[in-house]
Amino acid sequence: MTIQAGARFVGASVKRSEDPRILTGRGNYIDDIVLPRMVHAAFVRSPLAHARITEIDAATAREAPGVLAVITGEEMAALVTPGGYGIAGLFGVDKPDYCALANDKVRHVGDPVAVVVAQTRALAEDACELVEVDYDDLPAVVTIDQALDPASSPIFEDLGSNVILPPSTKVFGDVEAAFARADRIVRARISQHRYQNVPMECRGIVASYDPTSQDFLIWSANQGVQPARQGLAARLGVPVEKVRVRAGDIGGSFGLKTGSSREDVAVAVAAKVLRRPVKWCEDRFEHMCSAGQARDERYDIEAAVMDDGEILGLRADMVVDSGSYPGMGAMVSGLAMEMLPNAYKIGALSFTASAVVTNKATYVAYRGPWASETFVRERLIDLVALELGKDPLEIRRRNVVGQDDHDAVMVTGRTLAGVTNRESIERAAQLIDVPAFRRRQARAREQHRYLGLGFASFIEPAPGPRRTPDEPLGVMGPEPMRMALADDGHLLVYTGQMPHGQSHQTTLAQVAADEFGVAFDQVEVVVGDTDVVPSSLTGGSLSATMAGGAAVVSARALRAKVIAVAELLLEASAEDLEIVDGAIAVRGISSSALPLAELVASARAPGRLPDDVDTTFEASETYDGGAGGWSGGTHAAIVEVDLTTGLVSFERYVVVEDCGDIINPAVVDGQIRGGVAQGIGAVLLERSAYDEDGQFLSATFMDYLLPTALSIPFIEIEHLPATRTDEIVNFRGVGEGGLIVSTPTVCNAIEDALAPFGARIYEEYCPPSRLLELAGVIPTA
Amino acid sequence: MSEQIDITVTVNGEARSASVEARRTLADVLRDEFGLTGTHLGCEHGVCGACTVLVDGAPARSCLMLGVQADGADVTTVEGLATDHGMSTLQEAMWERHGFQCGFCTPGFLMQATALLQENPHPTEFEVREALSGNICRCTGYQSIVDGVLQAARSTTDHPQEADQVSASQVEL
Repeated sequence: MTIQAGARFVGASVKRSEDPRILTGRGNYIDDIVLPRMVHAAFVRSPLAHARITEIDAATAREAPGVLAVITGEEMAALVTPGGYGIAGLFGVDKPDYCALANDKVRHVGDPVAVVVAQTRALAEDACELVEVDYDDLPAVVTIDQALDPASSPIFEDLGSNVILPPSTKVFGDVEAAFARADRIVRARISQHRYQNVPMECRGIVASYDPTSQDFLIWSANQGVQPARQGLAARLGVPVEKVRVRAGDIGGSFGLKTGSSREDVAVAVAAKVLRRPVKWCEDRFEHMCSAGQARDERYDIEAAVMDDGEILGLRADMVVDSGSYPGMGAMVSGLAMEMLPNAYKIGALSFTASAVVTNKATYVAYRGPWASETFVRERLIDLVALELGKDPLEIRRRNVVGQDDHDAVMVTGRTLAGVTNRESIERAAQLIDVPAFRRRQARAREQHRYLGLGFASFIEPAPGPRRTPDEPLGVMGPEPMRMALADDGHLLVYTGQMPHGQSHQTTLAQVAADEFGVAFDQVEVVVGDTDVVPSSLTGGSLSATMAGGAAVVSARALRAKVIAVAELLLEASAEDLEIVDGAIAVRGISSSALPLAELVASARAPGRLPDDVDTTFEASETYDGGAGGWSGGTHAAIVEVDLTTGLVSFERYVVVEDCGDIINPAVVDGQIRGGVAQGIGAVLLERSAYDEDGQFLSATFMDYLLPTALSIPFIEIEHLPATRTDEIVNFRGVGEGGLIVSTPTVCNAIEDALAPFGARIYEEYCPPSRLLELAGVIPTA
Repeated sequence: MSEQIDITVTVNGEARSASVEARRTLADVLRDEFGLTGTHLGCEHGVCGACTVLVDGAPARSCLMLGVQADGADVTTVEGLATDHGMSTLQEAMWERHGFQCGFCTPGFLMQATALLQENPHPTEFEVREALSGNICRCTGYQSIVDGVLQAARSTTDHPQEADQVSASQVEL
């Protein structure tokens, strides 16, 4: 067991310590930050997808009421150090060449061209209207096929073409033999459309600069304050010590708010130029067209299959539309390649990956950035089943790995020991009662009602096992944590995790409380200040294992220090001492209990202890991830497609999952349900749409539709008993799985519903019009 | 710059005055003039519902209403739900049921649900979902929010004398 006997908080749906402030309107979100003398920024943004900037006239804007400064792209280029922004900046991607503001050409609708700073946001927006920008239109590159065409207009001259990641192939296992031996080959082109994170709070920053110390103080809504600091310092051309980044409450992100964005840097530059705090809170229009978009990936995939349903091998050719500026797009294919075989005994894989740039918003990380592999594989399995005339469940059963497959290894390298996908598939099938559903489905079809059942199964690396004993786990390597016992006996936990809905101030306090021996409400989890928190970021579903593990080892280290001091003060041996409920006592003798606050005071009383005794009561430890491990599970949905309206309704949505030991069940279930809701939205409602000229068509919530309380069904969740893979820490993440596996679950169910019409779903986006086409109700556009 | 107009609004039971530009929204006035930053702006075009407040008891999008239109009105914001004695029954129920995650949509849902429960103290699950369908939450998948509203309705039934007064576990506010 991870948690010692007497555990009281881990495993319970402890009420969140975040909630009293959030529920009473006392949160501290980025737009709530007000600094003395603060002024406001707004950006002039491109109305065109692809054009050369020939002239900018900001003279009128500079004279407008309340305006303090207008900085154009050309001026900005002289004020920042070249290099990458956002996630590309974090990973050191510095090609192709671009700047915080567009200074030669614009590359997507919404590209920032100039920043205006004024006394109020409204005055800044008024002045944006007065900045005159002359453009020479260039042909827009909008689709993958256009970008692959060597004759397409180059978006970055220094790139040579619009292929930012040239095709490269990796082969695992004997692919030729697998395809030679196969009874048949099933081929499909399967694609995901472009959609986006859409946190309810848009991006934002408040930057201030002290000209006397030359220090920046930045408030940023960001998934990691230390990475944001690194990114800002690099582009501002100052040492990291000159930048302090703080973050308060964050209104969601889902991968988007990582590193320092182009706008962040432009605002920090403006603060330095003006020597005044500058706030920028993005509006929804800016957010939709410029903050970043995700997915938009295409696979040509082939499966070598036997007539009994065995999948011998896969050949995949993936192209990512990474949008305009470097982001996650050119990095995601490696993750997708590694995860494509997943929890299946697929013995061979050939994977070709490439990425192109287009005149669309930059590709950013969105909850399970590699998710296309699960969509494509789980769709392909259903297509294989159709080809073989079998039930998709039978194909999954034939190939899936379960708890008994101790030696199973994914063909791309990592062990599958401990995965429970066979078990989750069987349990989901049982909960659905598949034979009873099939009978009901048949009767319904006789009445022209179209019910469908879809399954999909997955694992996610949260953090995944090591490939080699020395391989570091975690996006940022080992997870550091600092703990300190405060004078009043409170336990202070300093983490580089930056919660934006994940409830870390609750879950890490649960772990620390149990491990250290204090009550939950005696723990304060400190986040969001580069002056005090260690370096990390929240992402990749890693915090349960990495930060949970760091809390375990740090609490144990601090506990040992406290006990070492208590040995001297209480004249007892360490083995006889325990910390319970915020007091240290000789085991079994409750009258000996000394409250921790008194222990601290006694230890520090002059002359009480020898000078060489450590009475700082602090511990800083890092956790390397231990054995790591997978999260995973199986989702099943029963849907009905209404052939009058094309609308999909859910009769049931079942989740059977395994995320190891659960710290807080309500938090885990919330993560899963939220992810499923995003997946349902992605399939049925959401699309970042562009027309053939690269004009952006979905800049409002009336064009980009999001799921509501009426679109999302009751989601049943069952947790499987976990396989323990590590001796100490078996918490595993659940941040991304709900979204990753829900989109193929929904598409598989819809295809099953429309089976009488011979429907085949190759695209993830299934709005009503598409479903009516698939059912032959309306002609295909 | 547009004209400044003097307004007086009763906000959470207290008379407040401000001189505001005609073009400023009620949300701007609440946040910037009165410092009530609990009301959040998620879209500023009336779809997401995060900025919902009660105006004379009825839910309204404070991003779609001008501040000057609120002159003389009685406005309740999320800051007005809790009393010195603790959170409202609805807030307590949301805490209990882990209603929210990032918390940005929260003020709008709380105000919309407060209005629902005033009008219909015993809603069905469908009625709750329908009443909240004009508010967008990106984190939760809505189930925990719906559960919170239903639990609040049950609490009020189980302990009618406590309805919207003192709740069991108090918090420092």
